[in-house]
Amino acid sequence: MIMEVEKIKGLKFAKKQDVAIVGAGMTTWKRRLNETGKELSYIAVKQALEEAGLTIDDVEMVVMGSAPDTFDGLHMKGEYLLDGSGGSDRPYMRVFVGGGTGVFAPIAGYWHVASGLADVCLVVCEEKMSSCYPHPQSGFKYIWDPILDRPLNPNLIWIFALEMRRYMHVNNIKHEDIALVSVKNKANALDHPCAQVAEKITVEDVLNSEPMALPVRRLDVSPPSDGAAALIMVAPHIARQLTDEPVWVDGVGWALDTTMWYNRDLYFPRYVAEAAKMAYKMAHITDPRKEIDVAEPYDPFDYKELHHMEGLGLARKGEAPILTREGVTARDGDLPTCPSGGLLGVGNPIAATMGVKACELYWQLAYRAGKRQVAKEVTTGVCQAWGDLMQVGTVMVMSNKR
Amino acid sequence: MVFNEKIVNPTELKHWEGKIELYWVYTSGNAGDEFFKALKEDKFIAAKCKKCGMVYFPPRIYCEYDFSETEYVEVSGEGSIRAFTVARLDKNEEPLEKPEIYAIIDLDGTDGCILHLLDEVKPEDVYIGMRVKPVLKAKDAREGKITDILYFKPT
Amino acid sequence: MSVGKKDITCPPEAIGTPVKDSDLKEGKVTYVEDHPDIRYAWTAGQAISRFLKELKNGKLIATKCNSCRRVMFPPRMFCELCFKPIDDWVYVQDTGTVQTFSISYIDPDAKPLPEPIIVAVIAVDGASPKMGIMHILDEVKPEDVYIGMKVKAVWKDEEEREGAITDIKYWKPVG
Repeated sequence: MIMEVEKIKGLKFAKKQDVAIVGAGMTTWKRRLNETGKELSYIAVKQALEEAGLTIDDVEMVVMGSAPDTFDGLHMKGEYLLDGSGGSDRPYMRVFVGGGTGVFAPIAGYWHVASGLADVCLVVCEEKMSSCYPHPQSGFKYIWDPILDRPLNPNLIWIFALEMRRYMHVNNIKHEDIALVSVKNKANALDHPCAQVAEKITVEDVLNSEPMALPVRRLDVSPPSDGAAALIMVAPHIARQLTDEPVWVDGVGWALDTTMWYNRDLYFPRYVAEAAKMAYKMAHITDPRKEIDVAEPYDPFDYKELHHMEGLGLARKGEAPILTREGVTARDGDLPTCPSGGLLGVGNPIAATMGVKACELYWQLAYRAGKRQVAKEVTTGVCQAWGDLMQVGTVMVMSNKR
Repeated sequence: MVFNEKIVNPTELKHWEGKIELYWVYTSGNAGDEFFKALKEDKFIAAKCKKCGMVYFPPRIYCEYDFSETEYVEVSGEGSIRAFTVARLDKNEEPLEKPEIYAIIDLDGTDGCILHLLDEVKPEDVYIGMRVKPVLKAKDAREGKITDILYFKPT
Repeated sequence: MSVGKKDITCPPEAIGTPVKDSDLKEGKVTYVEDHPDIRYAWTAGQAISRFLKELKNGKLIATKCNSCRRVMFPPRMFCELCFKPIDDWVYVQDTGTVQTFSISYIDPDAKPLPEPIIVAVIAVDGASPKMGIMHILDEVKPEDVYIGMKVKAVWKDEEEREGAITDIKYWKPVG
């Protein structure tokens, strides 16, 4: 029998000081940008510093998040991006957990400030997928096991197709309900200035689009992109000097599952549930569906938004498509989900997705999201990222009240 | 215990061969584009920080230390050698027909250096501090890469 | 400086210069191309080496942990849940059940395939429940595949087998 292991036991959450976010920035996201990785990082950091009202001299430590070196074709990408990320002459580190880096980099920034080692920590994420030929998807050929999987010539889309089929089968969900997510997010992204693939589509457009690896079709998928994003995390006394209402990081959590993904049942993301448990425990949240006002789960595929909503406890198993169908997850609904347009609408530059996850959640809670601002009053939100061979769950809970 | 079994025959252990079959196309970026476009017109440009005055070569759109913007300035392209090395074997450890001299060259008027080849000089005549100037490809053969500069030679 | 201001929209603008493939080919922007020659020889490790040897003989082998009583497939030298060395080798059958499947129309470089292929996760009989591997299905029409279908491995001829996962050509439905 498969052993279910209780992973989070009695974690201590001692910290020296609270952590607030005071500024964020992002570049435009497109299939191919002319700027080098260094230039992209610089643009995003400059925007974040301007919003916060700080200069680079105020920054004490820097965390850089960037996913596989294979896309940029640069070994030791973290070191290459250093000067554009403000890392000269200060402690600088790179973190990487595949697609989960978008929320894992701010979590690493959280450690810097919560431990008291720094009062101002800059978090930067950058990705340049366009350098990889023949196609950025080819870079994913090398995540598969060289002996057991690669001789079969697998394609990245296979894993998602296999997971999606299992999810649809166990919960008895139709493709039409899943396609509603793609329609919602691509429409939401029309209000995002940096969006790459925002458009108004219908459920029929999704179901008739080119089949890639059934049940996944072209309009179910997010595109590869180039882009960068940045965030500034500070200690409470600095936050209070800069603004009357900073956005606080209440809880963080991260968990990974085994690479032997064919030994797991794929219909439920256990790794997201474990990470969420940790983050909710830190944030003292007991009923996520009621206490979370806005959510940004990771949505590289439309079914992933539903899959992760269930993993985050925002819906019971199999219930997420019902919430979507009833409009609960729309921007004017009771639990707006991916109000930015998510990855399906704005783009998927692996690590730089921080821009539509952590940065967007911060902008929503600071009431600075402009046309994307959700209709209801927001106090607490959750953002989440996912990556690698369907293994990584990283979760961050933020709120604007103390 | 299975794990602690001694492997008496190492040929029992297998390995799997494979290749990484990707190739990459790197764009030069905004500053890089400006540099190579100017190079097509026989000009060398560097970037000067508007705030602290540091002159970066190769040019960039930002100053790494105070994060303010830069403006492009023209420099002569001549400089003096800071360090050099002579390579006599190629990457497969076969002897080269002619030894190659690589040098880091301090460019006049900038706070930066360039790494490039030296030619029209014998290895034993090269010394630190030697003045050099660039030799470029024919104008219509220039492609917008660092190889548009063929090598540096002593002035 | 937007310190404390409420009436701004973020991000304020989208900065970046999009370029197209044609811009590169026409030389509107400069670039460098690099074709590396990167080759690897990965060691299979003790467990998979034995697994590949058994594949050459036309058999599938798994490993057993006596603490949690799991029979693990593909085999491994340590139980990752109990974190201790495994206790024994166990042969498993070359039949199984389809856990999930997909019909793929594109190859790893995102180009269309001449014929769609069916890929599935197959839970192998004899191992613990849901211990599966990924493999190809054939001799079945895509619309006839369903979750729970029983399948059997179709092997290459003995002289063609080389000790690789492709010694099983594909799996086909039985019964």
